[in-house]
Amino acid sequence: MAFNYDEYLRTEKMPTLWCWGCGDGVILKAFIRAVDKLGWNKDDVCVISGIGCSGRFSSYVDFNTIHTTHGRTVAYATGVKLANPDKHVVCVAGDGDALAIGGNHTIHGCRRNIDITLIVIQNFIYGLTNSQTSPTTPRGFWTVSQKAGNIDPTFDGCKLAEAAGASFVAREKVSEPRKLEKVIQKALDHKGFSYVEALSNCHINLGRKNKMQSAMANLDWIDSITMPKKKYDALSEEEKLNYLPTGILKEDTEAEEYCDMYEEIKKVHQGLRPKITPDDFKKKL
Amino acid sequence: MKAPENTPVWTDENRCKACDLCVAVCPAGVLAMRYEPHSVLGSMITVIAPDDCIGCNECELACPDFAIYVADKKEYKFAKLSDQAKERAKQIADNNYMMLGA
Repeated sequence: MAFNYDEYLRTEKMPTLWCWGCGDGVILKAFIRAVDKLGWNKDDVCVISGIGCSGRFSSYVDFNTIHTTHGRTVAYATGVKLANPDKHVVCVAGDGDALAIGGNHTIHGCRRNIDITLIVIQNFIYGLTNSQTSPTTPRGFWTVSQKAGNIDPTFDGCKLAEAAGASFVAREKVSEPRKLEKVIQKALDHKGFSYVEALSNCHINLGRKNKMQSAMANLDWIDSITMPKKKYDALSEEEKLNYLPTGILKEDTEAEEYCDMYEEIKKVHQGLRPKITPDDFKKKL
Repeated sequence: MKAPENTPVWTDENRCKACDLCVAVCPAGVLAMRYEPHSVLGSMITVIAPDDCIGCNECELACPDFAIYVADKKEYKFAKLSDQAKERAKQIADNNYMMLGA
């Protein structure tokens, strides 16, 4: 029995609108397999996506879905999760969506450690609008907005999420779909904010003037700039500059989850407990 | 999804966009592209050597378009990876992922 993806898809929307060889499809498949492995009911999952190529994600899956405004996936998801704490809320955003226009929502979602899974599809460029510099575009790359070569320093989304307080942070790449599936499964299962960065290819917009015109060439380039976390940790500081670690970078199962704390607020208003004071928290600042 | 009878790997040509990814990851040269004037990129996926399929599932995992499926190990008795198959995979890759002799 081959895995039946159609069970989880809105098949009338197939074939996908993504370009040939786009990594988004591989991430979508890994996500579907992860949900299937967890055995979740389709009605218990809510997928929220913003604007960009990644925004199509929510149209193709047959879960509860919202296609929201640009960068506001985590804001909408926070509302959905607080209203339905027993549902599984998953956000999908691109690197522009989650780290540029929606950067503010991302860091505050991480700070609250609310039980949402944020899958960031990181393709190093603004793909939908045709190759403008994104916060993650490597320096020296050609883009439409910086034709002489990109000079902007890049953003490390995983370090950002870690520092902001997300309790699960991981990075994986499209060329290893089995590992990607495992990481997404762990992230979905984790209680607290899970940030998963999936490195994806955009050979159409990133590759066309950067000598990676095929999906295979682009994936090879991604392989050349990534290495497993264990191997990465053994490198010297200078060697670390041009590599991204993959795998699970942070997993904190002890951290307090926002929905649980919100229950306390409900109890205050129901007169079940006195008001919340600084003494209720171990870490106050 | 149940495999059609006696088929190790099968494709959905309505969904395939001919990105070459499955051909690139196949270690046994089972897949290749044929010329297809009605496809956007001018080519279409073809299973050229089903008997050599080793059932590694790589093509199914790499396909972004839900267009290729591999039978389960219980449904089909897969072959072992032969030198001849490896050589064909290399030749297909050198031939820009197109079918040999076409």
